[in-house]
Amino acid sequence: MGRAVAVVGVGQTRHGRRMDVSYPELVREGVMAVFEDTGLTPDDIDGVVSGTMPSMMEGVALTHFYFADAIQAVGKPVLKTETCGSTGMSIAHTAYYWIASGMADVILAVGHEKMNEGDSQATMTTVAEPFYQRPFISGAPGVFSMQSAIWKDRFGLSDEKVREAAAYISKTHHDSAFDNPYAHIKIRTTIEQIVNARIITYPVRLLDVCPNSDGVCAVIFASEEKARKMGRKVAWVKGIGYRGDEYFFGDSDKAEWVSAIEAAKQAYAQAGIKNPRKELDVAEVYNPFTFQEMMLYECFGFAAPGEAPDLVLKGTFARQGELPCDPSGGVLCTNPIGASGLIRVAEAALQVTGKGGAHQVPGARLALAHAMGGVAQFNGVMILGSEL
Amino acid sequence: MAGRVAIVEVAQISGGDSKDNYYDQAYLVTKEVLAKAGVTKDEVGAVVSSASDIFHGGISCASAYYNEAVVAFLKNSSRQDGESLFALVYGVMRILSGHYDTVLVAGLCKGSENPPNDTCTGMFGDPFYLRPIGMNETVAASYQMRLYMERYGITEEQCAKVAVKNLHNALRNPYAHRKGRYTVDDILNSGRIIDPLTTLQIAPKSEGFVAMLLASEEKAAKLTGKPVWFKGYGSSLDTFHFGDRDLLQGQLKNAAAKAYRMAGLTDPRREIDLAEISEPYAFQELMWYEDLGFCGEGEGGNLIDSGVTRTDGELPVNPSGGVLANNPYVSRGLQRAVEAFLQIRGEAGERQVAKKVKTALVHGTHGFAGQCHAVAILGSQE
Amino acid sequence: MVKEYKTIKTQVALPYEIAYGATWTRFFEGFKERKIYGTKCPQCARILVPARAFCPRCFVDTEDWVEVSQEGSLVSWNYVNYRYFGMPTEPPYVGGLIRLDGTDVGFLHLIGGFGLSDLEEVKKNVKSGMKVRAVWSDERQGNIMDIRYFEPIK
Repeated sequence: MGRAVAVVGVGQTRHGRRMDVSYPELVREGVMAVFEDTGLTPDDIDGVVSGTMPSMMEGVALTHFYFADAIQAVGKPVLKTETCGSTGMSIAHTAYYWIASGMADVILAVGHEKMNEGDSQATMTTVAEPFYQRPFISGAPGVFSMQSAIWKDRFGLSDEKVREAAAYISKTHHDSAFDNPYAHIKIRTTIEQIVNARIITYPVRLLDVCPNSDGVCAVIFASEEKARKMGRKVAWVKGIGYRGDEYFFGDSDKAEWVSAIEAAKQAYAQAGIKNPRKELDVAEVYNPFTFQEMMLYECFGFAAPGEAPDLVLKGTFARQGELPCDPSGGVLCTNPIGASGLIRVAEAALQVTGKGGAHQVPGARLALAHAMGGVAQFNGVMILGSEL
Repeated sequence: MAGRVAIVEVAQISGGDSKDNYYDQAYLVTKEVLAKAGVTKDEVGAVVSSASDIFHGGISCASAYYNEAVVAFLKNSSRQDGESLFALVYGVMRILSGHYDTVLVAGLCKGSENPPNDTCTGMFGDPFYLRPIGMNETVAASYQMRLYMERYGITEEQCAKVAVKNLHNALRNPYAHRKGRYTVDDILNSGRIIDPLTTLQIAPKSEGFVAMLLASEEKAAKLTGKPVWFKGYGSSLDTFHFGDRDLLQGQLKNAAAKAYRMAGLTDPRREIDLAEISEPYAFQELMWYEDLGFCGEGEGGNLIDSGVTRTDGELPVNPSGGVLANNPYVSRGLQRAVEAFLQIRGEAGERQVAKKVKTALVHGTHGFAGQCHAVAILGSQE
Repeated sequence: MVKEYKTIKTQVALPYEIAYGATWTRFFEGFKERKIYGTKCPQCARILVPARAFCPRCFVDTEDWVEVSQEGSLVSWNYVNYRYFGMPTEPPYVGGLIRLDGTDVGFLHLIGGFGLSDLEEVKKNVKSGMKVRAVWSDERQGNIMDIRYFEPIK
């Protein structure tokens, strides 16, 4: 299938509330970080893919114009890939296809967001059309809390067990964020604080929800020939999958979420993965909500349907567990949305190249990265490995 | 490149205001292209669409809304923002990668639901500097037009001739929004929106639902006896800072050079039979002639005077009426590709040009004074 | 050291006018008469509410209109305790995903008709799977808020 493609370097900004820099300055910080990591210069880049959340997020439209200089794209071809929350993953996919097609050798991918400059949940509400769903959508938590409830009821899971497992996820991810130099939310919390936190949209409470972050992720992809010439450890793209289901929230089954299941299947088939929990060494699951994260484990075959809470409580997905998930702290602790999917790819690449630092999963060789978006609609997956 | 990519079929719904629903129109244009190509929904491998949230009826994350309407339910899909020729080339990449043998490409923009175009283009500016001083695409174009006329001695009449030609061509295009028999004086007296631009030299705000089916060489052979081949592509972006740019030496030359190289063209003026280019402002067509190599620097005015770019000329440009006749902002680039496809196949109806079209150039631009350009070459020859 | 530099406060409001089109105009005409309509897919035979011009899965036109029940069962719900900009309803409120009887998809709306200020009280009134019924406004404009909410059927 096409030419082999590798992630040859990654860069991230320090994520958080970044009112110390303008938006283009923030973008430039992320882009400079990947040039520093790889030793490449803008002259080495054949084309640039960028993307973000909708223009309502920061009140700037078609941001490839405003950031043309910050993304070092002047005089170069650009693609501007946007698929809502899965934007960062779709950017990575675009870079992959651009090189796999033979039309480029080295592509810079940049995902960016500066959420503190707008009203993110008001923006999310405008993802719903104004005829039927917008008056009831209640931002992202409104949709995802309903999805969690559907899943819980489908498999007869008790409120208490699901709550306990979600709190475990929240606690462990918040702890992991301390090992990630780029993470936004770094707080020591307790299970008691999590289960008693303020309700946002029941059952989702404050510590079950991702923050509003400002941040940028930049990743350089290269063809096999170029990647090998660099003489460094790279992360090979082993498989990619993407699926979207229907726009109207009530149209599709969200408990056994077919777009997530099918997206993973497509990627696994390309990567030759048959037993994901055994074969994968680490996963960066897009997890803005603790409850939903468990459901996604099931969609990706990490757990049987309805089994995720038990495995979570056994520590299967914890840092020392069988399949560590989100050792970076995940989206739960850092969520500059347009960058978040690409951060999952960058973190997966760091893991399989042994550059994960304090949150390195020892010996990781095969990793899954994921993002989702739309009205609980889109799912994208990329599998990265240390060997071609 | 690993292989070749063909356009198998096209469809469009476009023109002036329609009270049809966006979601339904997206479905109808997709259904039409599948029916023409004789493929079922299951035969579509992947979907790459283009739409921009700012031009999308106030509904954010455009592709979430129309996902199933462009037959992307449970398919591998993606979306491009701003320029629909980005979606065309991304669709091509998906096929050349070997992962898919068919890709549906769509451009979706329903002008009637949006604020005035320049209310939207004003949002391209930064919030500190350009936006407070009222920068938008028309303001940017007015600076560019004055510079162009003053540097090369191009006259207002020569600029107006572009509108005369294109709006006249549009009379034969059922998909055009604005059309008519105008004189140069009519154009120049159509109201000074921003001097030196007049109303009829500025593209309207239109509808454009455009779809095409791409296929690998092998698959195309099964689907059509008349494939139109994707031959080349180039694109280039300019710096954001308006004052840093030479507004007359933009990125189109660079974009075109890349496309010509990929398509193996060495003498574009002779090798290209027809061009469908994006001229949201009449004078820009003259500038783009020069940057595309259809004439020398500063000779755009002479070229329109010579009649070469008329429908019956040696190198017809915008026989559809171009963007001055129909301007669905995001999908206008892909609409140019649809028109070029029809001309190559000899299926352009009343607007079919007299000469045989083997190789056609397609161009899209967006941003202040052409901050971004994209050029694609299509052809009937292998 | 991180210094907080200047910011600019600005509001962006853009006017849009969005077409209902034939199918959704007809759907909301029904609302004026307190009727809920769906369309039926000729291939998979699913009844879709709100009415659609085409089946998202089969990708064929839907032609048959059917009036559907105003009662249904609650598939899922949430309790919203956060003020989302642009939402017409003051929190707290209960959102509901409802499967109207005889239809094949979920319909999103509000659940009400009881006190909403306390979650524990709300939990006594709202259970997934329970039966609910549409409560209409006296004055109907032909839009989604013509239904005030769905109330539990005792």
